Amino acid sequence: MEAGGGEAGGRQREAIAAMAMDMDDLGCPRCKTTKYRNPSLKLMVNVCGHTLFEVVSVQSENSKVTTGRSSKNLKRGRGKECESCVELLFVRGAGNCHECDTLLRKSNFRVQLFEDPAIDKEVEIRKKVLKIYNKREDDFPSLNEYNDFLEEIEEIVYNLTNNVDLENTKRKMELYQKDNKEVIQKNKIKLTREQEELEEALEIERQESERRRLLIQKEEQIQQILKRKNKQALLDDLEKSSLPASLLLAQHKDRSTQLEMQVEKPSQVRPVTFSTGIKMGQAISLAPVPKLEEALYTYQPLQVETYGPQVPELGMLGRLGYLTHVRAASPQDVAGGYTSSLACSRALQDAFSGLFWHPN
Amino acid sequence: MYHSSTQRKRWTFCNGQQLERCREEANRNFHSKAAATGKVQQNDFRLLKPHEELAICKHYEKRLLDFCSVFKPAMPRSVVGTASMYFKRFYLNNSVMEYHPRIIMLTCVFLACKVDEFNVSSAQFVGNLRESPAGQEKALEQILEYELLLIQQLNFHLIVHNPYRPFEGFLIDLKTRYPVLENPEVLRKTADDFLSRVALTDAYLLFSPSQIALAAILSSGSRAGINMESYLSESLKLKEDRTTLAKLLDGMKCMSNLIRKYELPKSEEVVALKQKLEKCHSLDLLLSTNSKKRKGYEDDEYVAKKPKVDEVGKPIVLFFFFHSNCHDKSNTATETNFCTHSYSFLCCSGRIHISCT
Repeated sequence: MEAGGGEAGGRQREAIAAMAMDMDDLGCPRCKTTKYRNPSLKLMVNVCGHTLFEVVSVQSENSKVTTGRSSKNLKRGRGKECESCVELLFVRGAGNCHECDTLLRKSNFRVQLFEDPAIDKEVEIRKKVLKIYNKREDDFPSLNEYNDFLEEIEEIVYNLTNNVDLENTKRKMELYQKDNKEVIQKNKIKLTREQEELEEALEIERQESERRRLLIQKEEQIQQILKRKNKQALLDDLEKSSLPASLLLAQHKDRSTQLEMQVEKPSQVRPVTFSTGIKMGQAISLAPVPKLEEALYTYQPLQVETYGPQVPELGMLGRLGYLTHVRAASPQDVAGGYTSSLACSRALQDAFSGLFWHPN
Repeated sequence: MYHSSTQRKRWTFCNGQQLERCREEANRNFHSKAAATGKVQQNDFRLLKPHEELAICKHYEKRLLDFCSVFKPAMPRSVVGTASMYFKRFYLNNSVMEYHPRIIMLTCVFLACKVDEFNVSSAQFVGNLRESPAGQEKALEQILEYELLLIQQLNFHLIVHNPYRPFEGFLIDLKTRYPVLENPEVLRKTADDFLSRVALTDAYLLFSPSQIALAAILSSGSRAGINMESYLSESLKLKEDRTTLAKLLDGMKCMSNLIRKYELPKSEEVVALKQKLEKCHSLDLLLSTNSKKRKGYEDDEYVAKKPKVDEVGKPIVLFFFFHSNCHDKSNTATETNFCTHSYSFLCCSGRIHISCT
């Protein structure tokens, strides 16, 4: 709320004013054009509190009031008009406010930020007063004295806003200023230093986020480059090497998954250190995997009940002399995997299958 | 293999009496069904008795074998054996009066060709029938009608083990291990004859194919004057196992008996029985107004409307196939169900409108 907040407050005030303005209501008292008719119309306030409208360009929105001469104008009066009217009236540099007939300077007009021009006026006065009465709580030995000080400020501001006892107030201010020149100076310096520190902190934050963003970008770029390289390497390999394609593909797949895992790991590690400063250790269970004891499988050949005498095995047929009585396999048959022992074995199996079986 | 097949587990019976009982039961079932419709009484004289049914079956079996022997392209023996087996199995559990054997016989051969991978197109198949093209079409239609029913009544056990390969196996074994017999090939002709004769009997339903093959060899050996019993005891190592040997020999004796006792029914008898059968069928005992287009779909609650136009060939057949498909799974079988589909298409003879009621 003190002067330190003034700058930030200025920005805020503009925003608030932009929301508070209603299009139709406000009109220039002189030329009666409303914002409705000319949307880029902006209210200009002068020190006397009356408004004029002007067609505003961007730069003038940010204009700030000069400090020094305004104290003179506080005495003179109020004025509030639109800029076209402002220009008309103040073509010579100074003129009268059309409502209150006080002498005004052109330079003192600035964009109104609050709906009620009186508030704007008070805000201006307060700013000026606080520039002088800029003692802080630490400077006072007790809370009561600090409160008295604040009350004094409020009184002065009130007097100046409502034109009550202007001369006395002004004299009081000058007196105070003379007495506490060093203190005022010191506090001014402190303020500026604080502001600077704040600004620095903000800067650092911004830089940090920038750095992080750049890092992530860089990493992504690296990853993409690597991927592209990998693909290119795969293509080259497929062209040049003599290994089978499936092997190469498998190799490259491995490589690419490895890459991905590498990139993932650093990104996983970082959240651990960032979180509230407490380093969370990754608990890896190193207990040995329990051994499963099972009986080994032993092969038991299949036993099929054929209800008949046993058929000699496929390999034995030749030796036993069966194959001489079977038609020999032609070369075409052998190429397909057929052997005469197959046919022989099948015939014998069929002959002996179910021979001893009887239904009951 | 035979030892793990359904033929051994389900379709080999203990003795001839069991077969008789099955046939009698099938006959009785039909009688009760017919009596239930109210058109005939139980044990009406117009219905066939079991022995008459058996005679009809025998006749049609012979017809089946004759049909297969003149089939073009030449049908392998295993296909014939499979078809014959299907026929036997079917009429073990069904009555001749319910399904006419002339159609079932053709369906059996058709199915056997498919199962045994003897690829004959349906057109080629009906081309072997000695009938006009229209008659052939009708026959094909009937075959397709009954195909699924046949498969169902076979309980979906379609693989049949025939004795022909075991026979070859025995010959190979004889040549290798039985030097006593110098040339087993001399046995082949008579054994073949034995096998074809035994195919007409019920032996397929009573013995395993290897036993039948062995019986063929032994009988042809004995006819040639060679005693092959030493083969059994020596090579098949049955010297110790007396019981098995005895049983084997018993079985073979039984088979020879079957062949001996088998006689084809006389032609007059057959003619008379056929007439009676035709009358039974014309009685229309089990056919209701909602005749099913394809037999065997009853379980699906499938209802097809009776086709109104009968004479024209393929287009109509296809049309009804298409039409009955749009009734698929949608209707419940009630009498009052009417379909209001109507179709109109251009036929070679002009426009035909068919509407379904």
